[in-house]
This record gives sequence, structure tokens and C-alpha cells, in this order.
Amino acid sequence: MANARLGRTEQITGWTFIAPALVLLGIFMLYPIFWSLWMSFQVGKGMNFSFGGFANIVRLTKDPVFIRALVNTLTFLVVQVPIMILLALLAAVALNDPKLRFRGFFRTAIFLPCVTSLIAYSTLFKSMFATDGIVNKMLMAIWIIQEPIHWLQDPFWAKVLIIIAITWRWTGYNMVFYLAALQNVDRSIYEAARIDGASGWDQFWQITVPMLKPVILFTTIVSTIGTLQLFDEVNNITQGGPSDSTLTLSLYIYNLTFKFMPSFGYSATVSWVIVLLVAVLSFAQFAIARDRSK
Amino acid sequence: MTTTALRWRHALAMAAAAGVSMLTMTAAMAVDVTVWAWDTNFNGAAMKEAASRYAPSHPDVNIKVDDSMQQEDIRQKLQTQLLAGDTTGLPDIVLIQDDVAQKYLQSFPGAFVPLSDSIDMSAFAPYKVAAATHDGKSYSLPFDSGVTGLFYRADYLKDAGYEADALKDLTWDKFIQIGKDVKAKTGHNLIALDLNGSGLIRIMMQSAGAWYFNPDGSLNILDNKPLKAALETYAKIWQADIVKPASGWTEFTGAFTSGETAVALNGVWMTGTIKSQPDQAGKWGVAPIPKLEGVEGATGYSNEGGSSWYVLSSGAGKDAAVDFLKSIWATDVDFYQKILIGQGAFSTWLPASAGDAYKASDDFFGGQPVWANFSEWQAKIPSIDYGIYTAEVDSAVVAQLPTITQGGSVDDALKAINDQASQQMQ
Repeated sequence: MANARLGRTEQITGWTFIAPALVLLGIFMLYPIFWSLWMSFQVGKGMNFSFGGFANIVRLTKDPVFIRALVNTLTFLVVQVPIMILLALLAAVALNDPKLRFRGFFRTAIFLPCVTSLIAYSTLFKSMFATDGIVNKMLMAIWIIQEPIHWLQDPFWAKVLIIIAITWRWTGYNMVFYLAALQNVDRSIYEAARIDGASGWDQFWQITVPMLKPVILFTTIVSTIGTLQLFDEVNNITQGGPSDSTLTLSLYIYNLTFKFMPSFGYSATVSWVIVLLVAVLSFAQFAIARDRSK
Repeated sequence: MTTTALRWRHALAMAAAAGVSMLTMTAAMAVDVTVWAWDTNFNGAAMKEAASRYAPSHPDVNIKVDDSMQQEDIRQKLQTQLLAGDTTGLPDIVLIQDDVAQKYLQSFPGAFVPLSDSIDMSAFAPYKVAAATHDGKSYSLPFDSGVTGLFYRADYLKDAGYEADALKDLTWDKFIQIGKDVKAKTGHNLIALDLNGSGLIRIMMQSAGAWYFNPDGSLNILDNKPLKAALETYAKIWQADIVKPASGWTEFTGAFTSGETAVALNGVWMTGTIKSQPDQAGKWGVAPIPKLEGVEGATGYSNEGGSSWYVLSSGAGKDAAVDFLKSIWATDVDFYQKILIGQGAFSTWLPASAGDAYKASDDFFGGQPVWANFSEWQAKIPSIDYGIYTAEVDSAVVAQLPTITQGGSVDDALKAINDQASQQMQ
């Protein structure tokens, strides 16, 4: 009896302690989330809202720009994330080799891009990949191409440019996770594999990748979320062009809110599409990872 | 401590207190008027010149010009704060480009002071006043003109066999022919174009008195003959292989300031950029733009860009702001001569063109009376209504540009523009 009362007092004390945090979370996180969900069912220009039911969702299905933005975003995701994960893995394995000299220098060099300012590197990429920029000049000097590539004017090459840019920036970030994880892999496993005659390639696929699976899963989900929210690079390098070929969902939300006649309800609907995509894809990745471990 | 010393200290303290209260009193009476503009060398500099002219007779008004932001940032801040209903961070006077003005006027009723109540609007170019008129009231103090001109390198054209006379009454077909000749004889491309912008198409369309919308505001794409002709002409220019593709403003302006391309077809405000290369003095000329052939109402006169000053009704300094705009921007002829020479700011206040600077000839342009010409062309620009959805339709047009320049059907493009724009106008 006395114990139960004590327990209850402790419980109340506990709740009192976390109450301020809960109130703040409620005001600054839960309320905006529910408000934006409510907004996504509103139609109208500027501040003149009215409840539109599923009007915004119907509008989504008919909106060619939204579909273009969705396809672009998914294209970036499907092409860029696997390339980046593989590059980061290879770099991590190579830089984990104790016999390699200047390891610290290489690690820093590969990690450095992801601490640069987004705007600064976007501006730099834009000038490097201009028609008469340094990249075209170099490629022509070493006879890889005959004529300059119109990186910024051609819908295909503009996409490639965005992929190159985000890969450059984020590979080092993922590599750091792999490097940390590799420190925990026991060297004796590799030794045993070598004695059994496994090649370097076999060791990579049969030991390193399986051992790093949880970390790979984590980086894949983080990269997926990042790519679905891709905004800075496209806004600063191509502004979604040419011909909307690099328009992403986030940039479209920005345009709907700040560039066009403000349409908050509809841009909230597009935002929720990203939320749903992130949820579904993360779930799918977890599910796939779980299946394989059985 | 002696009594004298005490008395002295007392007196000093009193004097100091009086001084402080005097200061706070003047501070309370003085009015701050903040202004947002976006180009340090152009509209920011013109506004600062206006402020310095107003200051001597109005020591109580303190005009602060902030020209550190880009136009995009100003639009974004304005839109966000007006939407949020929190105007504390907004200025008293803001510069807005004409083609987006209606969007602000119509989506934020009451946010701006109707200036036609206190300033005579008939002294300004009618098309500028029309751009800022909503429900019978005009809300802007019209600033710079976007009257267009064909800036050309007279030396390149001469090498290709064209004198200045050949550029009078140009058609776009003739323009393309000139481009081919210039490329064959001098190796220079005629013009730089950015596939991410619809500027040239809008110039062509307005030169025939058309825009994306019907008078009632509904979309006018499928049966818009000037727009169709403009798209066809735009495609022809690209296909003639006389274009240097440019991406972004720096590359775009770099193409003609570096001497790479032979012409620039833009608003009069480009004059400053062209004249930024003193070593090209005497090599340039200006002519009216080419006409769309076979289009009813086609002229050689159009508009690109141009902006105006708006007074926010939420600002504490709004009355001072209106008085300032009235007494400098709608009164002072000399002021307009100064900013024309200094910044190349071409006025839309009609009496300004009576000043000396507007009559002068310019040696940079081979001794042409450039400003007098622009004044004459400005009076002939067809007035149009920019509506509230220009940004939406623009992005639909830009989405079709790569396809039509590669030979795609213009009719299909018009249909796609119509579909996309009608989706966006909800």
C-alpha cells in the first residue's frame, strides 16, 4: 500500500520533470505536423483558405509538373544512392588498409567535401561545369570529348551534373560510418579467410559487406531521405532546368510557396507526398534487410 | 568636498540629463524610412541619390536604403511576411518588378498605400501605371523603364556588310539572315540565349500587344497568335546556328561584354552593363527590335523587366515615404538627369525627358542620341496586363523550350503549356 503510493508520487514527479519538454515538443513539433496535414486539405490563394476535401490530391494526379518532379527525384534516388554507397564502401575498405601510407590525409580529403558550404560548392560546380568551364576544357584536352558538353543546357547532362555534385559531397560522409564500423571487424576473420584461399574480392563481398550490413542499412536510409529532400544543389546549380529536367519535389514546393501565386494548401500536400515516400521506402529497406538475415 | 564643487557637479548632471532628453526627443520626432532595392549599382544607387536630395530640406526624415539583397530574396521575404501577417520586419518602401506586381496587389489587399490618391499618375508612362493599377487605384511610383532595344556591335555588322540603316524596320527573318552573315564573315555568334528564361519570347509577344491572358484574366495560349509566332521565331533563331547557349546571368551578360556575340536584345537597363567595357566605346549601336511578321498589331517596340516603388501601409514611416516619393520622384527633373547619366536609369516620368541628359548623344554608341531614341520608342510600347499568374505560365513555357528549339512541334508545345498552366492556375 505504502509502496504503491510512493510509486505514484514518483510517477507524478517524473511527469512533472518532463512536462516542460513535452509541452515544447507539442507546440513546436506536433502542432505544426498536424497543422500541415490540415493545410494539405485546404484550397485557395494566399491566406484565403477553404476546405477542399481531396481536391489537392486530385490535382496532384493531374499535375504534369508534380509528376515530372516525382520522376526526377526517384531517378536521382535510384541512380545516385547505390553509386554513392558502393563508392563509399570501396573508399572505406581501401583507407582501412593498415599498410596504406598517408591514410589520415586521404580520409580527410574524402571527408572534406561534406563540410563545405552547400551554396559555395554549388556555385563552384556551376562555374566548373559551364560550357567553357574547366571541366569541359580538361575533358577536351585529354581527348575524351571532341565538343564541349552543355552540362547546364542539356536535360540529360544536367541530371548527370546534379548526380556528380551530390555524390562528390556525400560520399565522404558515408565513408566515415563504414570506416568506424570496420574498426570493429576482427582482423582474424580476414586472416582465416586468406588462409582458406579467399581472394580480396571474395573477402569484400563475403565478409566486409555482411559485417557492415546494419551500417549499410542505416546509410541507405539516411541517403534516401536526403535525396528525397534534395533542394540546395538543384536550386543553385540548375534551378530545376532546363525544361524541369532537374526539378525535385522540394524545389517544386518552394516554387509553389514563394515563386508562384502562394498556394499553401497544395504545397503542403506535395510535402506530405515526401513524408509518405520516406516512410514507405524506409520501411521497405528495413523489411528487405530483415528477410535476408533470416 | 566643497559646496562649489558639489554645485558644479549638480549643474553638470542637470545639463547632461537635459542633453539626453533633447536627444531622445529628436529621436522620437525623427522618422525612419527604410527602402529595399536589389542592385547596388542601379536602383539602390538611384534611391540613395534621391535620399540625399531629400535630406537637406527634411532633416527629420532618415531614409535608409538597403540594397544588399537579391530580388528573389526581397520577393520571398515580402511574400512570407505578408502571408504570416507579421509586417514588423518589412520596410516602408519596396521595389517590385512590374510583372509580379498584380500578384501582390491582389493577394494582399490593403498591404500597399494607393499612391494615386496623392500623386498625379498621368505624368508617368501609361503602361507602367497600368501594371500597378488594381480596382481603379494605382499603387506604385513608376521607376525604370524596360523599353527594349537591339544593342549591336556596329563593327561586326559592318564586317558582315550591314550599316546602321539596314537595321531600321527589321523583321525577325532579316535578323536571322544578318546572324548567318555575321557568323560566316566574322565567326561570331549573333546572340546569347538562356534556355532557362523566357525573356525573348515575352519581348516578342508584348511587341504585338499580347500576353498570356485574356482581358478577363483567363488563360490565352492555344489561340494566341503572337505567342505562337514568338515560339516559332525563337525556334528558328536556335536552328539557324547563330546562338551561344548561356546558363545564368553571368554567362549571359559575359557573352556580349566579352565581345563573343554581336547583339544583345534587352531592356534599356542593359545599357549600363554594355557600357561597363570602356574599350568597346564607339563600337556599339542601338536600334528598335525586329517585328513579328504577319502578326496583327506587331511593332518594333516592347518592354522587358522594369520595376516600381511601393509603399507598405504597415510601415511607421509611410506618410514620410509618400511625401518623399512625391517630392523627388514625381517632381525633380534634375534628379532624373543625374541617375540617367550615373546609373543609366531610364525614367518613366514623362517630364524627365525634357532634361538635357535625355537629349545628349552618346559617343559610346557612335554618337547616336540613344536616350532620345529610347524615349520615342517607349511611347509606342503596347500596353498589356501582366495578370497574376505570369510566373506559372513562364515556367510552363520554359519547360517546352528545349523541345521546340530541337525542331519539336510548336502546336504540341502550346498544348503542353496550356495543360500545365491551367493545372497551376488553381
